[in-house]
Amino acid sequence: MTDHIPAAVVWCLAAALVVTLVLLVRQRQITAGVRKRAAALESSLRARDEELHHLATVRLRAVEDSANQPVPPPGLLDQRLTGTPYAHSLQTVLDLFRQAGDKAKARAEQSAKAALKASMRALQGLAHEQQLSISDMQDRHDNPDVLRDLLEIDHANSQFGRRAQAIAVLCGSWPGRQRAASALTDVVRGAKSRIRDYRRVQVHSQADIAVVSRAVEPVVLAVAELLDNAARHSQPNTTVEVGLQPVHNGACVVIDDAGVGMDGQEVQQATALLSGERVPDVSRLGDPPQFGFAVIGVLAARYGFSVSVDTRSPYGGVRAVLFLPSALLTHLDADAPAAAAPPPERPRPSRRVPAPAPAADPLGAPAAPQGPYESPAASQDSYESPAAPQGSYESPARLQGPYETQAPPPGPYASHADRPGAVHGATAGGLPKRRRRQAAPQRQDGPAAGYGQHSPYSEHGRHSEPGQYDESGHQAPVAEPPRERTAEETARRMGAFARGTRSGRSAADATEDEGNPHA
Amino acid sequence: MTPPRRDPGRDRGLVRPYVVTDGRAYPTRNTFDLVTLVMAHGDRPLGGLSPEKRRLMDLCLGGALSVAEVSGHLMLPVSVVKVLLGDLVDSGHITTRSPIPSAQLPEAQLLQEVLDGLRARL
Repeated sequence: MTDHIPAAVVWCLAAALVVTLVLLVRQRQITAGVRKRAAALESSLRARDEELHHLATVRLRAVEDSANQPVPPPGLLDQRLTGTPYAHSLQTVLDLFRQAGDKAKARAEQSAKAALKASMRALQGLAHEQQLSISDMQDRHDNPDVLRDLLEIDHANSQFGRRAQAIAVLCGSWPGRQRAASALTDVVRGAKSRIRDYRRVQVHSQADIAVVSRAVEPVVLAVAELLDNAARHSQPNTTVEVGLQPVHNGACVVIDDAGVGMDGQEVQQATALLSGERVPDVSRLGDPPQFGFAVIGVLAARYGFSVSVDTRSPYGGVRAVLFLPSALLTHLDADAPAAAAPPPERPRPSRRVPAPAPAADPLGAPAAPQGPYESPAASQDSYESPAAPQGSYESPARLQGPYETQAPPPGPYASHADRPGAVHGATAGGLPKRRRRQAAPQRQDGPAAGYGQHSPYSEHGRHSEPGQYDESGHQAPVAEPPRERTAEETARRMGAFARGTRSGRSAADATEDEGNPHA
Repeated sequence: MTPPRRDPGRDRGLVRPYVVTDGRAYPTRNTFDLVTLVMAHGDRPLGGLSPEKRRLMDLCLGGALSVAEVSGHLMLPVSVVKVLLGDLVDSGHITTRSPIPSAQLPEAQLLQEVLDGLRARL
């Protein structure tokens, strides 16, 4: 019995040992697992620390720098983190940073552009004003000494105006001046007027092509920038050759200089700028800023011509080619000038002279048969006076001529004319619009509103009794509530009006031909 | 006559006068007056002339014009037109003539004496 006890103890001890061993092994395994886990976590934490450091020192800086040169931003330092929420958050931080940067840049750009534009517009206006006074002085003084000085001032002023204009255009402004359709030769010579070394520019070949009114100023500006580049980057004793070539579906202005030319990278940059796909930042034009190509690119994209500078000139320099599509071209006929595209707006005050010949009317064809009506031209002021932009109303006012020569009862017209409404906004066609009077609009504005709707009608009834005509003129506004007129509608009315005039005239001529010349 | 101020084909201010004269302000000869008559010779070639000179020739081929009229038609300052005219005279395209001076009238006293003499005789 007694020997059972030690055996039992031994067994117990053995069992305890086994259990302890098992527990130990297990504990060891657990410890090892925990250690491994701790190590993994530690390394992961370190990796995240490093990643954050990487973000702060490398990636964010790269984003900051990428404003100047677009390079792909560096990715994560540790690829293990890819796809984790942590990496996601980091990306969010990066994106927010970039957006904030972009937004701030855009805002700065915008305000810089707005400020530049406003000041350049002011300068442009001053330059224009000064040019008018210089022109007046040139007219007034008939003395070569004075003329010489005036020419110098004029030249400096033109360059000054061009600079202001170029910067304003780059900042999103319009070229600023409306001109009549002009011969391409004159357009190029106009561009020549605006650069420093204009005497080195030689314009060959006088092509019989003209540029439509709305494209004159932009093309002048673009050609002036090209000529300026050409003259600036070539020796002072060389010439800049300009050729005008009609091509299949347009015309080309080819500018050759004998200068240093451009290397591949410059050509690439220039082509990118000239394509006008992207409006360049004002702040990234270099120092000193290079406006030329950027301005041309903006204008080319806006008006639909194209410019290339990637050819070498036979003289060694650059050959710049400005291509004008047919849509921007027209023909100047001596008999019917400016037949295409009447200038929609004329900022310059028109000098009021009785047009000496029908050909001198800027509106061209549709208004052709208006000459004789202009004799009682005094009356046209009654409608024209409300228009503040002086010249812009000229043509409609002339068209109104026949209307008023029909001797309408002066009462309502005179009273209306004496109280002209102020110009208020513009129509869709760009013409200034008179403000309708709110009080008693039908009575006050009756003749004016009725005029447009009844002009063809009244023209056909030109031989009718004035009283009858007058009546229709008064009934119209009551029937027709005042509403906005589209440009198309206005044009249709004007056209109908001109047709009526023509048919009435030819009828009158026919009766005269029959030997019945009644007055 | 009043020059046409608004010729749509010629926008004033587009081509500046210094380009028209190529920077010169002094005519090659100082013989032009506002009323000097300008006559063009139709037999000269017009090729190689600047657009302004060509228009000047076109104008003057129609008959004699005064410098002032030419200036008005071309819408250019008179002094600029004088520079152009100087060139054209040099190249033989035009000739100029001073206006015919008004005839010198005999003095009133002489006329009175003649009248008196006639009366005394008749």
